[in-house]
Amino acid sequence: MATTVITPEAGEISETSPNKKQQAAPVKEQPTHKEWTATQRVAFRIAFIFFIIMCIPVTGEWWNNLVTINWFHLHYRDLYDIARFSPSIYKFQNPAYNLLGYIDWVEALVIGIVGGLIWTAIDNKNKQYHNLYYWLRVVVRYRAGIGIIGFGFTKLFPVQMPYPSLGVLNAHFGDLTAQKIYWLSVGIVPWYQVFAGVVELAAGTMLFFRKTTTFGAILLLGALGDITYVNFAYDGGVHVYASYFVLFSAFLLWYDAVPVYNLIVKERFTVPPVLIPVFTQKWLRVTRIVLKTGTIGIFLVWLYYLQYINFKYDPYKQPGTSGVKQLRGNYNVSEFKLNGQDIPYSPLDSVRWQGVTFEKWSSLTFNVNKPLNLDLSNGGGSPMRDINRNFELTGVAGGKRVFYYDADTVNKVLYLQDKLPEQSKRKGKRGGRGGDKGSNNKIAKSFIPAEAQKNIRNEVTAIDPAAQSTRRERGVPEELKDKRKRAHMILNYTADATGSHIVLTGKDDKKNDVYIVLDRVNRQYALTDSKLVAGKY
Amino acid sequence: MSTLTTNQTKWKEYEKAAFRFFFIYFVLQALPLDWKYFSNLFRIQWGSLSFGDIFYISRYTPQFISGSSTPDTWGIGTLADWALIAVIALIGAIVWSLRDKKSDNYNKLYYWLRVILRYRLAIGIIAYGFIKFFPLQSPLPSISNLNTSYGDFNRWKLFSLSLGIVPGYESFLGLVEIIVGVLLLFRKTTTFGAVIILVFTGNVFISNIAYDGGEALYALYLISIALFLTTYDALRIYNLVALRKPTAPNTVKISLSGQWRTSRLVLKSLFIFFFVFLYGYKTYAAYHHDIYQYPKAKGLAGAAGLYNVSDFRINSKQLPYSQTDSSRWNDVVFEKWNTISIGSLKRFKADTSVTEEISRNNDDRKYELDGTTGRAYYSYVADTVKHVLLLKNRNSNYKADQFSLNYTRSANGAITLTGVDHNRDSVYAQLDKVNKKYLLQQAAHGRNKALKL
Repeated sequence: MATTVITPEAGEISETSPNKKQQAAPVKEQPTHKEWTATQRVAFRIAFIFFIIMCIPVTGEWWNNLVTINWFHLHYRDLYDIARFSPSIYKFQNPAYNLLGYIDWVEALVIGIVGGLIWTAIDNKNKQYHNLYYWLRVVVRYRAGIGIIGFGFTKLFPVQMPYPSLGVLNAHFGDLTAQKIYWLSVGIVPWYQVFAGVVELAAGTMLFFRKTTTFGAILLLGALGDITYVNFAYDGGVHVYASYFVLFSAFLLWYDAVPVYNLIVKERFTVPPVLIPVFTQKWLRVTRIVLKTGTIGIFLVWLYYLQYINFKYDPYKQPGTSGVKQLRGNYNVSEFKLNGQDIPYSPLDSVRWQGVTFEKWSSLTFNVNKPLNLDLSNGGGSPMRDINRNFELTGVAGGKRVFYYDADTVNKVLYLQDKLPEQSKRKGKRGGRGGDKGSNNKIAKSFIPAEAQKNIRNEVTAIDPAAQSTRRERGVPEELKDKRKRAHMILNYTADATGSHIVLTGKDDKKNDVYIVLDRVNRQYALTDSKLVAGKY
Repeated sequence: MSTLTTNQTKWKEYEKAAFRFFFIYFVLQALPLDWKYFSNLFRIQWGSLSFGDIFYISRYTPQFISGSSTPDTWGIGTLADWALIAVIALIGAIVWSLRDKKSDNYNKLYYWLRVILRYRLAIGIIAYGFIKFFPLQSPLPSISNLNTSYGDFNRWKLFSLSLGIVPGYESFLGLVEIIVGVLLLFRKTTTFGAVIILVFTGNVFISNIAYDGGEALYALYLISIALFLTTYDALRIYNLVALRKPTAPNTVKISLSGQWRTSRLVLKSLFIFFFVFLYGYKTYAAYHHDIYQYPKAKGLAGAAGLYNVSDFRINSKQLPYSQTDSSRWNDVVFEKWNTISIGSLKRFKADTSVTEEISRNNDDRKYELDGTTGRAYYSYVADTVKHVLLLKNRNSNYKADQFSLNYTRSANGAITLTGVDHNRDSVYAQLDKVNKKYLLQQAAHGRNKALKL
């Protein structure tokens, strides 16, 4: 072992504690030389194996991401996916056995216990593990630090909780899931989200440095303890990953818990345990500096830049490309003809559209008074295609339909597709990572005629060049292989110069002829929006 | 009276100077010295003490300048009050420095200042803790709120509504506050309590700013006290944890003797009884009998729910469903209590209360309409013999809006309202009960099952 662990010299003690002489009985501890008890040794061996399993990624998905990254053309998600993993050992078919998702922890603990006992049987030489304990703390510190920083940046540049789109602003409070309500409650105050990001980043950054580790761990425990509880309360679905950090911060605090308790509550003179590695070989010192600088460079500097680009041009939970500039806002449906038949306005009508919105991005939404299938997922993940970015519809009821459109702006035609696929297999909150992949490696045949395709912007290059990435170039064609059926409509549009009066004609998703007149309304909201706005539309 | 056991350390001059300032400053901030406060105390009916009274006692802040107190409630001081107190403290500290050349240290005064601040902070944090632990502060949303568009609430209301849908979480937050308050009641655990307040109330402070709440300054008041309490052990902890050096503990201890010892025990017990046990019991009782955010008066029996207005006439002229006519009622909600709300295209100037207020008076309990522009809220008195509802607009911006309507109820739950409204127009409204299913409730037991709604 190339490192040793030192304790402070006697001189240092007298220098820093002038009152020592007055102390009746200072608690003298010699951490380095002190042997651990047999129980402590067994507990450590178990904990060591357990935490290493918790910290080291072994899934194929993670490694596959790592080796396929194009480091010259990065997307924030490339680094985020490196930062985000948790142990995935074995999941049971019966969800009841998965203990709310904590089964992997239990499995890791079982392996830790078995391994720890074998280790105990073999190793009767070592009486303490100060060195190993130090390095285990290093692994946990960096694992937790990198993980929380990955999360923190999506809040520092507020994209994790998007500001509600028009369609969501118009939805009734009772027509949302609890999960949606919590996410929105943060989304409406982007500056608060920034603050939450600062807290997570501060906690993560403090874990990179030995001296500040305990303070970082306190902050992490407070913040993620709250987020864990929030996820249980609002059914947010991220409780396991949130409590992953609670576990790590508790482990890191364990080291100082007893000394601080002795000093503050028992009011005793306290000598803290000190674990500081001494590197004797030069190559070790160089390696340490390279690794530490590399980690900070990648996860604090580079990711900062990538996340800023994502916030500015391609916020990952909302569609990245802009909608037709003219077609934006809230609209009343002034006239609605179905197969030539005029249908008068009634809030009870199950066919007639009401409350139309054209979002900043290429989405059209409207309500019908009719029960609809719902997507109750969180609306996250990392889809590249706008049609798969579904935060604007997940967890929202009230008869709202949301269509993605491709616009042929030469012939003034909208090619609309339902953002919720038919007979959605994504019933629950899991899923939504951009469709079924790889069933057939061909790009699905489009309902949009080839001649119209010429006039429709290329989705890959439609966002700002600064936000281009290899992930996007690969992801869009990949997602185009999605075979799930979607309701679609082809509607011609004519609009006045400002888009305040629009006429849509064509075929709806049931092949009915529709004639729809839309008039923009200046809908006033009590909710004040923020100047901090994600995306460029 | 009391003896101090400590090694008689000599404080540095700047330490003494700083202490003199902070001593005067915090005494003026924490001890109830504002005479207006006492006139409020005298107004309390001790015979029928409510948790609201104790809540206001706990929320004392000096208001020498602002004097914003209204009878029965006690507002929150302003920065001007803080500035005045700081100036007084500065002058006082200068005078004190000139007069007192003898003292080596103020260990004893520091000790008692910490006692005052610990108790002041404890009751402040416990008062808010119990009204969350028994989820009163943010109640479950009313039927009207469930049927209001998300964008028709302001930020502060959405913050409260979002907390209100998860009573378990609200209880948890309250429990944290109560535990923290109890930690402050004991000298040796004070630092832990104060640190948790820095994190917890720090978040409350930022939330108040972000969501346009009105209690940012009060949160800052509590934080400033917590910060002062934390500094006592901060260096020691930094020395131990960050520098990893052997560290000496606090040595200043006060031991009381004889009757002082008994008095302390009695006072502390009374204090804990009043602010923890009695207040806790009162909030518990309120949670079971009277959620203070909503009126207590009962509504029309069996009428609670959402109604579609299928037929609406003004001066006998039928108004069809419309997306543009703001005089037509679109839907009506009857709450369980004596409120109806009318949904139309009209938007209203919101009544907004951004601080926590507790009232016994039904009319002052405006949580249901605070911070929302979407619906018109009326309280009513029902004459169930003559079948008349006396309606009164609850919004303080529309006080003149009062009228009465006759009602008839049919077996299928429909209600017909007729009468003359505030504008002297005759109104006829046919209300059909809507069997509304709310996703919020339907998805409450998990989101793994497919749902069609």
